[in-house]
Amino acid sequence: MTAPDPGSLLHPVAGCADLVPRHVVKARLLGQDLAVWRADDDFVNVWADRCIHRGVRLTVAANDGAELVCPYHGWRYSNRSGNCAYMPAHPSDAPPRRLRVPTFRSEERYGLIWSGGSPEAEPPRLPHLEGEDTLVLRALPVNAPPDLALQGLLEWPCQPVPAPGDGASISCDSAGPFAVAVTARTGGTEEAVVHFVQPVDGGRCVIRPVMRGAPAADRRLSILRHHARQLEELRTRLESSAGSPVAVRGPSTPLQPLRRPTATAVSGRAPQLEVCVARKWLTAEGIAAFELAPVSGQLPSFQPGAHVDVHLPNGLVRQYSLTNGPGLTSVYRLGVKLEPDSRGGSRCMHVSVHEGDRLQLSEPHNNFPLRRDAARTVLIAGGIGVTPLLAMAQTLQRQELAYELHYFAQSDDHLAFGEVLEPLSTGLVKHLGLSPDQTADEIKKITHDYGTASHLYVCGPGPMIEATRAIAADSGWPEDAVHFEYFKNESELHDASSFEVRLARTGQTLVVGPGVSLLDSLRDAGVDMPSSCEQGVCGTCMATVLEGELDHQDVFFNDSERAAGDRILTCVSRAGGHKIVLDL
Amino acid sequence: MIRLYDYLLSVNCYKQRLLLSILDVPYERVDIDFYPGWEHKGAEFRKINPLGHIPVIDDDGYVLWDAHAILVYLACKYDPSGSWYPTSDPQRLGEVASWMLFAEGTTNTASAARLHVNLGYDFDLEACQAGAHRLFRVLDEHLWFREQQGQAWVASGESPTIADIALFGDVALSEDGGISRLDYPALRRWTERVQRLPGFIDMPGIFPVAKAPA
Amino acid sequence: MTITNGRRSGAATGPADPVAIDQWYAITALDEIPIGRTVRTELLGVPMSYCRDHDGSPLAWLTQDSLPAGAPVDARTLHAPLPTLADYGYLWTTVGEPDGGLFDIPETAEPDRRILNAGTFGIFTSGPRAVENFLDMGHLPFVHPGVLGQQPFTEIVDYQVEYRSSEIYAVNCLIFQPKAAAASTSGQMVNYTFRVPHPLCALLYKSTPEDDVRLDVIGLFVHPIDDGRVRAHLFNCLLDTVNTDGQLRRFQQGVLAQDKPILENQVPRQLPLDPDAEAPTRADKTSNAYRRWLSDLGMTYGVVARSNS
Repeated sequence: MTAPDPGSLLHPVAGCADLVPRHVVKARLLGQDLAVWRADDDFVNVWADRCIHRGVRLTVAANDGAELVCPYHGWRYSNRSGNCAYMPAHPSDAPPRRLRVPTFRSEERYGLIWSGGSPEAEPPRLPHLEGEDTLVLRALPVNAPPDLALQGLLEWPCQPVPAPGDGASISCDSAGPFAVAVTARTGGTEEAVVHFVQPVDGGRCVIRPVMRGAPAADRRLSILRHHARQLEELRTRLESSAGSPVAVRGPSTPLQPLRRPTATAVSGRAPQLEVCVARKWLTAEGIAAFELAPVSGQLPSFQPGAHVDVHLPNGLVRQYSLTNGPGLTSVYRLGVKLEPDSRGGSRCMHVSVHEGDRLQLSEPHNNFPLRRDAARTVLIAGGIGVTPLLAMAQTLQRQELAYELHYFAQSDDHLAFGEVLEPLSTGLVKHLGLSPDQTADEIKKITHDYGTASHLYVCGPGPMIEATRAIAADSGWPEDAVHFEYFKNESELHDASSFEVRLARTGQTLVVGPGVSLLDSLRDAGVDMPSSCEQGVCGTCMATVLEGELDHQDVFFNDSERAAGDRILTCVSRAGGHKIVLDL
Repeated sequence: MIRLYDYLLSVNCYKQRLLLSILDVPYERVDIDFYPGWEHKGAEFRKINPLGHIPVIDDDGYVLWDAHAILVYLACKYDPSGSWYPTSDPQRLGEVASWMLFAEGTTNTASAARLHVNLGYDFDLEACQAGAHRLFRVLDEHLWFREQQGQAWVASGESPTIADIALFGDVALSEDGGISRLDYPALRRWTERVQRLPGFIDMPGIFPVAKAPA
Repeated sequence: MTITNGRRSGAATGPADPVAIDQWYAITALDEIPIGRTVRTELLGVPMSYCRDHDGSPLAWLTQDSLPAGAPVDARTLHAPLPTLADYGYLWTTVGEPDGGLFDIPETAEPDRRILNAGTFGIFTSGPRAVENFLDMGHLPFVHPGVLGQQPFTEIVDYQVEYRSSEIYAVNCLIFQPKAAAASTSGQMVNYTFRVPHPLCALLYKSTPEDDVRLDVIGLFVHPIDDGRVRAHLFNCLLDTVNTDGQLRRFQQGVLAQDKPILENQVPRQLPLDPDAEAPTRADKTSNAYRRWLSDLGMTYGVVARSNS
């Protein structure tokens, strides 16, 4: 009988009790160094022990409960996905989704964490340990090859418990390729310990014993001590007989990390994710909250300020901001306000979408990124505009960066996500029931003293964003310090013009006729343009302009970006003259 | 005011800075050009400590040398709670004394390996590393059993003692001397507990840890 | 003849990398060398020894059994002496045949400069990893917080990398520093220029509170013991009338001691030259240029060479 390839099995890499909060356990399995850590949501991560940026071991990183922070350049990696969430040298960049630490299987059984390279294998089930409580005894690292330890354990009839009386019959039996079970029978009682052997590398292993049954509190410590002494004796024997390191049985190839689908190219407006409505509730007057869980696998990571396109059952596509703070990686959480003049988007979400329903989403896009290098960060939310700012506030709070979240709403009943607002209390200022003039006065007070390295983020109804931008500009805020995201484009769109477009790269020339968008014309000509909102809000369908006057109709660009005239949102904007040249 | 004859990168000096910071005792630092100046070996400094060692403290004219002796003195004099050096509890005091002697061992192995690697001291590196591993195995097992009894520190009881301070630096900087702590998970958890003590200060070479959850 | 012997010996026990062999390396600070007594070390894995002769001139040779550490030295009895230079306060030697002398540091000729070895530290890393860390700005707020950088001011704004007569220069490197030098009293935006004149030597030019025009020069000269262990010399050439040698050393050594555990936790110890092996960003332009430069030089010692070369 040939022994199975160790790389095809799962092995223990740590005891569950080793994974204390905000700690990273250092482990090694079959020559692969591992960083093992538990997030605050109890998810156990088993990662390659290496920052992908400059190779620093992640076992020296800080576990902040949601992310591991590399001590070298402060790169942050998210719980579950292992995606890079932030690169501090580039505060305004969203890290590409391909930047990801290799992650491995993580299973819990018998009080141990199991990992390995196989996507299908399961931790062993042993009759000795099934159906009862177990006690994890002290694990012992041994400077001897795993095979030698297994053989030593088979020849080492150590009493599982101290002084069970004379005449105990002890048997040691192989319990799978990397485990030895010891059973002691005295009279009518039977004690059992299984020693799992973690193959560290060619010359080393860790013996991880698990005992059946939970002993009474007064016996527990003496059992632990008794067993540790016995194992220590075995270790001395093994290490004195171990020669130089020998090759471990396989694996012939390095441990395989889990494969995850890489980000699909953003193309057209096709949905990329299938999710299930895990929870739906009314979080405030007229605002429904949704938690969307992946149907399979894990959700793509994103940065604060991001939104997803939701493909509604009625065929409409709507953008909703993700309110998640760092640490909430198992679901996307959205807030949707029922608009009285809804064209079918918010009404459909409120009325037709129920818990358990499936929805199609795009991957997250972020056109409202948060810098985390500001001396002062001011977040101004109007009503449902709070959603992206909630993600920002939670991120800043966790990183202990100062911020103010000014939340303008009609009344207490209109404040959404109270459970998220509660722990933000230090940075949160509520402004309730103010008229537009009173709101403007408040915003004047908030923004009156601009200082360098200050950044302002505003999201809410169009007129409020307009007012905030004007007030901030009057108070001396530079344009590039004021960041905004509109929910919708409330200006009337003019599409009566007709113009010519030349594509510099392909040499094609197209004509965009009245009533047809530039975006649609480009797609008709075979150009694969990504898009999301298709109303000049989100910035996804941007193209670079090489020549020609522009008729900007979006609410995405600020005034100097418009004046520069080098970019266009193809969904709503058009040529100002007869012809434009695009870098496509 | 206490004057501490100090070298930033000396683990034994760091033990004093750490305890003084935790006890919130003001002091004045006298930087010795330890390396490569070897000021502590010079005639001037030998007037203060004829052994030519640092740390040395001068507490308003009372001069004391030897890192672990200074910890005893500082704790007795400046810790009104009496918890860092528990003179009122004979059993715990005995444990503290025992682990302070153990810390002489970690100083002479783990920290000696560090001096060899960093500064080129003429020590047998392999012997120092092997010695440190022998001691770390003992300490790791000890701390694991402490955890099993619901206790966090080297000596029994609810609060840390100067035995934790005496051992912490040698352990936390062991990788400077090429001594990995892969095999000592309980030791790694304990160093993080020390790093989360109120008043903790680090020295160059110690990685910061995340705050404990609220 | 001796040099040829050195190369053969090097090829037998050290690297087969002529680029690494044919360089001068700083072995130790001149004023720290004992007179007439053998000190043993290794260079590129080749056992070698050094001392100062009784007239003060440095001696270096391939280690011979008759001269154990501490043994008295008679220069006439050395079997395989190595060439030496005494420059910038260090003893330099080689186990190969360098093309010429050492790179120039014109500032060292200015009479009011403080030239000082701030310290020599052993580190378990390769020479190229140590040099790359010296050239790296993004780590300053994280590894040297409160001194050479400060969170959250972590942005690395665009800077320029240039090649000038086969050396690398990175210019207009801006970083906010709370305490840029031992002589600083407050935080400031500091403008750095980095220069790489040698595969294992790098220099940094930065403004100083004591002079409006001239710049402080700080260098890292690496002595590769082998391809995973180095001794790093901290060269200072400063305009500083305020601090004692001890204070300058405390500052520089504190910085290096913060870098050391980072370097010792990088895997692999050798610097990967393949652009896909690690994930660079725009902030890493200097290190990208350094990796490419080493690759173009054909350096194979202390690096993981590109897979396609």
